[in-house]
Amino acid sequence: MQRDSVTYIVGFAAVVCIVCGLMVSSAAVALKTQQTANAAFDKQRNVLYATGLASPAAGLSREQLETIYDERVKPVVIDLKSGDVVDSPSFDPATYDMDKAADGADTGMPAPENSSSIQRLPKEAVIYQVTGEGGEVEMIVLPIKGYGLWSTLYGFLALDKDTTTVRGITYYKHGETPGLGGEVDNPNWKAKWPGRKAYNDQWQPALQVIKGQAGPPSSAPHQVDGLSGASITSRGVSNMLHFWLGDGGFAPYLAKFREQHS
Amino acid sequence: MATNMKSTLFDPLFENNPIALQVLGICSALAVTTKMETALVMAAAVTLVTACSNFAVSLLRNMIPSSIRIIVQLTIIASLVIVADQVLKAYVYDISKQLSVFVGLIITNCILMGRAEGFAMQNPPVLSFVDGIGNGLGYSMVLVCVAFIRELLGSGKLLGHSLIPTVNEGGWYQPNGLMVTSAAAFFIIGIFIWALRSWKPYQIESDEA
Amino acid sequence: MSNPLDPEKLFGKGAPLERLYPLFEATETIVLTPGKVTRGASHVRDALDLKRMMITVVVALVPAILFGIYNIGYQAHWAIEHGAEPLDTWQTQLFQLIGLQLRSDSILSCFTHGLLYYLPVMIVTGAIGGNLEALFAIIRKHEINEGFLVTWMLFPLILPPTIPLWQVGLGIAFAVIIAKEIFGGTGMNILNVALAGRAFLFFAYPAQMSGDKVWIAADTRVDGVSGATALANAAVGGLQALQTGTVTWWDAFLGFIPGSVGETSTLAALLGAVVLIATGVGSWRIMAGVVLGTIFSSGLLNLIGSSTNAFFDVPFWWHMVLGGWAFGMVFMATDPVSAAHSLTGKYVYGFFIGLLVVLIRVVNPAYPEGMMLAILFMNLFAAFIDYWIVQANIKRRAARYAA
Repeated sequence: MQRDSVTYIVGFAAVVCIVCGLMVSSAAVALKTQQTANAAFDKQRNVLYATGLASPAAGLSREQLETIYDERVKPVVIDLKSGDVVDSPSFDPATYDMDKAADGADTGMPAPENSSSIQRLPKEAVIYQVTGEGGEVEMIVLPIKGYGLWSTLYGFLALDKDTTTVRGITYYKHGETPGLGGEVDNPNWKAKWPGRKAYNDQWQPALQVIKGQAGPPSSAPHQVDGLSGASITSRGVSNMLHFWLGDGGFAPYLAKFREQHS
Repeated sequence: MATNMKSTLFDPLFENNPIALQVLGICSALAVTTKMETALVMAAAVTLVTACSNFAVSLLRNMIPSSIRIIVQLTIIASLVIVADQVLKAYVYDISKQLSVFVGLIITNCILMGRAEGFAMQNPPVLSFVDGIGNGLGYSMVLVCVAFIRELLGSGKLLGHSLIPTVNEGGWYQPNGLMVTSAAAFFIIGIFIWALRSWKPYQIESDEA
Repeated sequence: MSNPLDPEKLFGKGAPLERLYPLFEATETIVLTPGKVTRGASHVRDALDLKRMMITVVVALVPAILFGIYNIGYQAHWAIEHGAEPLDTWQTQLFQLIGLQLRSDSILSCFTHGLLYYLPVMIVTGAIGGNLEALFAIIRKHEINEGFLVTWMLFPLILPPTIPLWQVGLGIAFAVIIAKEIFGGTGMNILNVALAGRAFLFFAYPAQMSGDKVWIAADTRVDGVSGATALANAAVGGLQALQTGTVTWWDAFLGFIPGSVGETSTLAALLGAVVLIATGVGSWRIMAGVVLGTIFSSGLLNLIGSSTNAFFDVPFWWHMVLGGWAFGMVFMATDPVSAAHSLTGKYVYGFFIGLLVVLIRVVNPAYPEGMMLAILFMNLFAAFIDYWIVQANIKRRAARYAA
């Protein structure tokens, strides 16, 4: 057969496509479980970092982290608007992608006005309850995100069972300026958070990142030190706390949680 | 044949470096070199994909109709890159997360297309494979050098281990923020080319008249 | 005549110190008037050689330098009088050793204190930059020229007073090597050399080059004193913040505001502009272009307005007295090497600098100051503007000829 005949060209292209297609799809199928497990573990690890039960510096192995997670942490699906717990969700909370759900016509809804550049919210959100030795809920971990200077920051905020005392915060994805806004990763800065109060006495979101230094939680319960030289990232963090702790965010759930546990 | 093999393997390091002389594959060299870890994984991925795509294209070189040869090369390269991406996601998830789209963008790395079209289409499979390894190594060398400088000066670390204690961690070293931005890679690659051409002046392009 | 110290015997061709000839040549021409005459066929001579030109720029810089030194001390003393703490540095110790008072109304005291910060920066700049310059002259076997003199004088003026000295050295090394020598030395650089060094430091060490702690040589982390520049306040609060703030327009015009050492006084920069324009060393066309560009873009932003960004409301007369606008326009934008060369091109080049500086200041949230970036950006386009002007000219003439 001639190498430049149409039949040969079409046939050759078809064979190449089939072979390559087979190769790609078999690789994808064979590695799928492994990849899903990785993604789920990545999320679990960051939840643990927010709670302070583990830290990147401690260098725990994957098995150890998974053990702690399995023993202590339980993902809970909630209806974001009403704050009710969804007992039998239609998806696996371990692999649920809230951003994707927010974009879906059925699974998402437009977000109320906010300063964090959040356009849409998922109808159902996954939060995490951390249980103590006796099985009682000790902490609640909330996923947060919002715009900083250059990028959307993704993180987790851990609250005590009183739903206002901060237990920890962590950011796991952002594109802020290294050394300035990128200091949200700095363990020294994260260490300033535990002990602060997320809400004031009227249960209004009150926690914010201020300019300069705030002092210890006892004297400045609602303030956290600003990131030096990064006022816009600092404001972004304040804005996203305000949003996610407010009525458009997790306030309804936290209010119901308080009712049940007091 | 032996010398041919040797020069095919080692020429791309200094004599005919894909980044420094041919100035190919710059974009990924900027993006993934803030840390040694990502640069090493990226370098390994590019080297392997270049070698394999060269091998595959060379095997088929007498069968590929010339009218669709570019798209066939691209299909082969794209498939190999996707497989590499899947493997990275499965086995080195953290690094693949940091590499993000840049593994996928190996497809558009000019080194691959350049070697497939420029070398593998005219040479036997094994030699093409070696050429792919050589060019991958040339790329890797620049990548690792750049990453070495950027990670060390930008965050005082090497492969994630703190080498120079930074001010934020109570040490004395004030990290150089420019090194963490992509612009630094431009400067370092530029200086690298400057040094290489001072050493081997024949690499300087003659003025276009 | 066999003088044992005849420089030709020491530094000439084949002599023992031949490699150091550039050093000798530089010393000889700056100290003496050499008796050598041109031997070749070309005899076009202008009294305004590179050396005189550079000296003119330095003379034009004198008001900015003197006021800058005074203002370092004045800002520090003013802040200290209002509750800030003196910095824990050797400068403070030495100042107290001299026995002067930390008072903002004493010109001598302010000037002395300022000198303690300015001089080390200037000395480091000259030592590192000058030696690199000489090194390249020796390696490349050309004469040391005066191009560095202006860079040397400019560089300390565009840094915050509290800049660590090692950063000064690193910045000027970057400027000389990467911005100048790589491109072939004086006259071949694409970017303004001093600004390139500043840009390097700005991106490498933002904590020491931006924010609100570096502009005053005193510890302002206390209540009541703000270390932020007036420009940064305008970025947050817009015109209202400027009108209600402690800084008046006249303060900003005269230069009694925190900022980089030499940039704060618009008046001092304008005095320099008079010298540069009168001697023909600086292009008034570029300066006019910058003024027009600034008025155009700030006027446009005033018209558009913004509910979320108060900086939109700031009018051009404020833009012109804040930050590095005046200093950049007079001394950086007019740098003959990195600016456009064609006459029309100079207007265009200046206009876009003026346009961009306001855009960067107002629209980009990360950089409250835009003069440095605007000038560097337009440096890159200078050659393109010239090309475009020349092509347009060729087309016009061709059309005329054809018709």
